[in-house]
Amino acid sequence: MRDPVQIIDCTTREAVEAELFDEVTIEHFLETQKEWRPFVVAATKLLVQSGASAEIVPSHFHWDWSRKEADLRVLAFSFFGIARKEKLQGLMKLQTVGRAGRLATQKGKPLVYVDYLETAPWNIKPLMQALGKRPQFAAVGTRLIEAAVRKSLEEGFKGRLALHSLPGSERFYLEVCGMTALVPDPAKQNLLWCEFTPAQAEKFLTGGAA
Amino acid sequence: MAMGKLAQMNQKRTMTLNLTEQEMRVLEEMSTQKDLSKTALLRQALRLYQLVDVRLSRGEKLFFEDEHKKEKAELMVL
Repeated sequence: MRDPVQIIDCTTREAVEAELFDEVTIEHFLETQKEWRPFVVAATKLLVQSGASAEIVPSHFHWDWSRKEADLRVLAFSFFGIARKEKLQGLMKLQTVGRAGRLATQKGKPLVYVDYLETAPWNIKPLMQALGKRPQFAAVGTRLIEAAVRKSLEEGFKGRLALHSLPGSERFYLEVCGMTALVPDPAKQNLLWCEFTPAQAEKFLTGGAA
Repeated sequence: MAMGKLAQMNQKRTMTLNLTEQEMRVLEEMSTQKDLSKTALLRQALRLYQLVDVRLSRGEKLFFEDEHKKEKAELMVL
């Protein structure tokens, strides 16, 4: 699958075309190591030198996608990426088996679980703002969550979706996407479990989130 | 443009499945309970089977644990 999607160029504030794809390969994982990680390391050095808090560095920056290479061949997992002019802007890993809803109305019903979702560091607003710059593109995360909801519909899960949110991303999932938060999960580093009901997922897809 | 490898792999193929009355009843009950179609439920079963198989082949083990009875039993998967 290779579909055109629109993301926002933060310099011109105009929508530009990007490509959403599910043919993720080890090459994309290596691209995150080659392009994304050095960017964060360089940004962290600049922040430390300028006396700014290094806490602004995304807490997922140590993720090593290449360790997930074996999962590319497992049916239980699906991967999606977004590229703009052949340059990777975001990557997501979904688990499509073995996860169920936790909201009272959805308990026991299967859902798609967002195992990992990462946007390229130059698209992370707080990080770029700390560097005195604009992010390059916005709405990459939104397009990936839309793809996850579509995957849930395709699997017959009616849009049900869940994830454990990193603290810095909670506002995005709850306020921008409109997911419901449950309590922090002690089985997953006390990260907040966020969930879409079928109705919320439909609203998110049709409501034109950012 | 030539169709990509994953796109080819994602193309659906049809098969006929013969089930006993009892198997069909369980399939229907579970698909109702899980709010899934019978096809979606069987696809889930295949995915779960492969996932378990992959993890066992990596040397991991699968257990059922009963917290109340303090029992833990390893599940052997063929």
